[in-house]
Formats: sequence, structure tokens, C-alpha cells
Amino acid sequence: MLLTLQMRGSIAGASDVLAVVTTPIQSVLARVNRATVGVWSTYREWKNVRAENRRLREEAQRLRVEALRVTETVEENQRLRRLLALKEAMPLTTLSGEVIAREWGGWVRSLTVNRGRADHVSRLTAVIGPDGLIGRVVDVRPGASIVQVLTDPASTVGAVVVRTRTQGIVEGEPRGTLRFKYMAREGSSIQVGDLVVTSGAGGLFPRGIPVGRVRAIDDRGSALFHYAQLTPAVEFARIDEVLLVVGEGSHDVAALFPGATPGASD
Amino acid sequence: MRTFVAVAIFGGGIAHATLGPALRIADVAPDIPLIMVVLLALRRGPEFGCGAGFVAGLLQDAASGGLIGVQALTKALIGFAIGALGGRLRVSQPLVQVPGLVLLTIAEGLSRFALLKLFRFPAPFGELMTYVVLPQALYNGFLGAALVLALAWAESTRPRTRTS
Repeated sequence: MLLTLQMRGSIAGASDVLAVVTTPIQSVLARVNRATVGVWSTYREWKNVRAENRRLREEAQRLRVEALRVTETVEENQRLRRLLALKEAMPLTTLSGEVIAREWGGWVRSLTVNRGRADHVSRLTAVIGPDGLIGRVVDVRPGASIVQVLTDPASTVGAVVVRTRTQGIVEGEPRGTLRFKYMAREGSSIQVGDLVVTSGAGGLFPRGIPVGRVRAIDDRGSALFHYAQLTPAVEFARIDEVLLVVGEGSHDVAALFPGATPGASD
Repeated sequence: MRTFVAVAIFGGGIAHATLGPALRIADVAPDIPLIMVVLLALRRGPEFGCGAGFVAGLLQDAASGGLIGVQALTKALIGFAIGALGGRLRVSQPLVQVPGLVLLTIAEGLSRFALLKLFRFPAPFGELMTYVVLPQALYNGFLGAALVLALAWAESTRPRTRTS
């Protein structure tokens, strides 16, 4: 009947009436659909982003570890290159060694190096690094040697100020610092920043190896001896590789270290 | 016996020489073997404390390159003393543990200094006490107390883990 009436044009507005009812419903349904699809796609995107985020985090972590490893390798490479350069330039027979343990309690300050009796290391062998003097071997064992570091309270080394040629003795202190003990009349012109190197007296250490730089001067007036605090040339806590001077040690090696020769500009 | 071996190896100079520098704070490293000896002496008595102290100290002497026997003697004495006194002291409280370990470290430092002076140890007493013994004593006190608490916690959780 509806069809017939429609064809005759009697209820021309029927479709309009229906449209009034259906259009809002359609609009609402379309909006709901859009919202649902939107929420779903947002959820899926969020899930993907989360998975990607996790993956990227893992990758960043891996790359960070990798970067650290590369940095470590580069640093090790640089250290070994410097050590090798020193070893090759040295007019002395040297043996490279790796630090395998440290004693840092204050009573004793020592390093254990993986070179021992089998490597012909002997007691009192001088131990050096690219930055300067490290110490001397005090005990030799079958597979290792104990190196007394300069900052050990029992360590003493004959030394000289490069600029003024003031002779003195460098002693270790319990707090891990170095003290330069010199005759008052000889050291009047010592200044902060002066480089102190081994004097070579006694033949134990080669001459001219940097020991430290003057940090402070302890002027004791008319006393026979004065003291200067030194900043060690070597950062002992960070040494990983060393050179042991196993041959004849009475050479002047100042030319191998920057600023260690008299008259050199520091 | 197993504990003894563990003390000898891990509590002795080997662990101290390799792990000690890693635990440094402002150039102060703890005396790990001393802490181990004290903890063991408190649990196992004076004889065990004395033996553990001797072995740990001997290994520490050997690893550090110092005079062999100095720390063996001082740590053996500390181990024996704390083992003998342990029964009379209430050592379960951190308020006792921290000052206890501080005092023991100072006592060990004094006996070590006295012994080393016989062999012409050059370091001045005041400087050694200020820069080495006292900072290390404080470090030992807190590290030892933390270890005791960690051990007590581990022991308290053990039965629960078994039943679950």
C-alpha cells in the first residue's frame, strides 16, 4: 500500500518523515563507529608504540653497553700505545706488566704485577709508566711481583727539581700524598708548579723520570730541612699497565717525558 | 672447615687486594678480612677467631707486600679477644656493632703500629691515626653492621623459603 500511495504521489513527504527519524540514528551510529574505530586504532597504535619503545629501550641499552665497551677499548688502546711508545723510545731493557691487584689501605700502598721470577724481575726493579715513576719492586714471586708505590709511607726516592736543580728526597705519606724534603738553603727558589724528577742518585732509578709537581711549600724558617707537597705525576689508582726496568738503570731518560729536561718550557 | 677455607680465600688478602680498592670512598678502603674475622669469631668462638684471623692476616700480608706476619698476629689476637668476649656482649644491636667494630679497628691499628715500629716503620703516629686508622675504623663499623644485618635478614628468610 505504501508503495502504491508513493507511486501516486499521495504521501510525497513519507520519505522525509522517515528521514527525520533515521538520520539522527545514522549519525549517532556513524559517530559511534568512528569513535570505536578510533579507540581501537589508538589502542593498536599505543600497543605498537609500547612494543617499539621497549625495543628501542633495549637497543639503547645495548648500544650504551657497546659504546662503553668501545670507549674502554679505545682508552686501553691509547694507554697501551703510550706505553709501547715509551717502551720503544727507552734506552733501557723494559718489560711490560699488567696490574692484577692493589693494596690501598694506607699502611701499605702497593700494586701486584703479573710479572715474576720467571720473567727475570729482580727486587728493587724500577717501575714506570708513560706519565712518570710508579715505584719499585719490593717482592718477587713465581708469577707476580709486588710494587711499592711512591705514596707508600715507607717509600723514599732521590729527586731533583728540574728548574732549580734542588736535590732532595721524595717520601710517601699515609694519606696517599708525596712530600719533597730538601735542604733549606738549596730550595729557596722552589715555586709551586715546579716539576720534580728522579735524580738517579744511587743508580736504582733512571734519571729524569717525573715524580710530581710542587703543590705547596712548607717553609720552616731557619730549620735545616724544608718540605714541599707534591702532586704525583702518576694517578696511581688508575694504573692498569706498567713498565719494569729490568736492565741497567743508570740512564738519563728525561728527554722521553715532556718538561723533564732542564730549560724545557712547562 | 669449609667456612675456614672460605675465610682464608675470600676474607683474606686475595679478596681484599682485588675488591678493596673498588670499595674505596675518598681513598679509604675497608679492612674486609678484619670484619670477616670479627663476624666469625663472634659466631664460632675464640679458637676459631684466632685461627681465622691468623690465616686472613697472613694472606693479607702476603698479598700486600708488607712484613709477613704482622697482620697475622694482630688479627689473630683480635679474633681471639672478640671470640672470648663475644659471649658476654650483646652484639646483635647495630648500636653495639658499629662502635664495636670501630674500636676493634683502632685496637688492631694500634697493635699493628706498635709492632711495625719495632721494624722502623717511618709513618708518624698522628698522621696514620688521622688519615688511615680512624677513617677505616668508621668505614669498617658501618660496613660490618650492614653485613651483620644482611646476614640476619638472610637467616630469617631461609626457613620461610624452605616451607614455601
